[in-house]
Amino acid sequence: MKLVFALLLMVTIAVAQNQTGVLRLRVRVKLDDNSPMRGLPRKRFFLVPGSLEQNRALLDAIERQSLITRDCYYQKIGASTALIDWLKEGDCESVYCREVEKNFLTGPKTVPEFVTAFMASQKEYGNAETARQWLTTSLASDLRDGFYRDRQRALQALLKQAPAVQSVMTDRNGTAYFTDLGPGTYVLSNLIPTELGQTLVTWNCEVQVKPGDLATEKPYLVSNRKDRLVKCVGVEKPKPVCTTD
Amino acid sequence: MTRIKTFFILILICVYPCVSAADFSHATQKHKAACNTCHKITFPDINDYPGHDACVSCHRREFFRGARPPICSVCHSKTSPRDEARLPFRNPARKLQFAIEFPHDKHQDVIALLRFSHAPQGYNNCTICHASRTAMFKAVPTGHSSCFNCHWKAQQPVADNCNGCHQLVTPHIAKEAPLRISPKFIHDGGGEKKQHVAECTTCHINITKAALLRGLKPDVPITSCTECHNKDGLRQDLNKELTAIEKDRNFTCVYCHAPNVGSLDPPERHYLLAERPPIKRKDIK
Repeated sequence: MKLVFALLLMVTIAVAQNQTGVLRLRVRVKLDDNSPMRGLPRKRFFLVPGSLEQNRALLDAIERQSLITRDCYYQKIGASTALIDWLKEGDCESVYCREVEKNFLTGPKTVPEFVTAFMASQKEYGNAETARQWLTTSLASDLRDGFYRDRQRALQALLKQAPAVQSVMTDRNGTAYFTDLGPGTYVLSNLIPTELGQTLVTWNCEVQVKPGDLATEKPYLVSNRKDRLVKCVGVEKPKPVCTTD
Repeated sequence: MTRIKTFFILILICVYPCVSAADFSHATQKHKAACNTCHKITFPDINDYPGHDACVSCHRREFFRGARPPICSVCHSKTSPRDEARLPFRNPARKLQFAIEFPHDKHQDVIALLRFSHAPQGYNNCTICHASRTAMFKAVPTGHSSCFNCHWKAQQPVADNCNGCHQLVTPHIAKEAPLRISPKFIHDGGGEKKQHVAECTTCHINITKAALLRGLKPDVPITSCTECHNKDGLRQDLNKELTAIEKDRNFTCVYCHAPNVGSLDPPERHYLLAERPPIKRKDIK
């Protein structure tokens, strides 16, 4: 009888260990005290194996990094106010994020960088519509994806300290799924501070994935405001002022 | 002995040219040169075979082998000096020799947003590559133009850096479509309000983490469906069918599935979301 029980226990443990779990993120933020709570779209989150203590070196590196904000980056490379506004309007980090509509090539909303690139493209491709849709191929490298490349460099440097990391991006409602998770402790982090209104928010929270919870997919609420349902509250810092060096 | 020799020589004469014509291989050492040695990188797509001069330097003799040289059929649909008609490029009847390296995660970072506040966009979101093929299935790119609009020049991998996307692999037959477990789902559906028209990653939850195409599976969790289709006061589509199975073990689930899937035991997760204990059809009396 004891033997049967022991075997049953072993089988149960083996099944539990093989079970993979899901962490369903729901990121909801407030831009300021007067704004409504809304889903945070298109932001990447990372799940690092281990506890906060085990990832101390990584957390210190996150704390130490000095990153330039989007607006400061584009100001620094001499981008026009119109381009900076165009990026801000779509919460875009690069020019690939949204279509360059015709009204940004002519009229009051004209973005000078787009006009120059459009003219070069038109010369090369012949057709105005193709030139508009392929416009980014004629933009200078720094304007095109310099900010994204800067961020990627910073991320890759941090990720060297955290192998076996999963990352997902939130959808327009601020939801994202980490799948195929083994039971254990993880640190949920955005690694690079998220620009939110006039603040920078960093999330670093410990998440337990237990064998018993594995099939549930209950939302794990992440926010920049404390609430009884919020399991991970971000640390906010004011955005630095852009320097003109 | 002489008979055997003659037999092998005959086999070589008959088989060699036929094999070389039908099975042009990029894996052959001399065919592994830079792509633009033979292929012309053309705007806005690379949609034709290399010219004769790409082959002639090594295969001159094969061009004059008989009245209908087998080598012609690598590219031409008719073997005739007066007919230039070519097979489609790429020829879907032939095996694929390259795998595509496409990092969905990077592209998700910079494009792939479906904006509802703007007029529908034809590009700078998933539809650049995945336009509607049918009401149920999205298409995948068949040409280069959906890549070249950003990668034509400057943004690596650029048009003449073929290896940036194409990796030589063992020749294989392309799958026509991925396996669909719930083929009744219509991407543009969801009633009058077209509730199904959402950002792609709302349901395809693994896309934003996929650095490779290899191992990428249809990855829609049932929770994406039950958010609406099994909600108190809204719809009970899952519950209804699970109840029907309890009453009749031969019941076939048809709301989402075709009979091949609908006649199987529902997976445990279906029961979990419906807050019912999982059962097997064979245990139902």
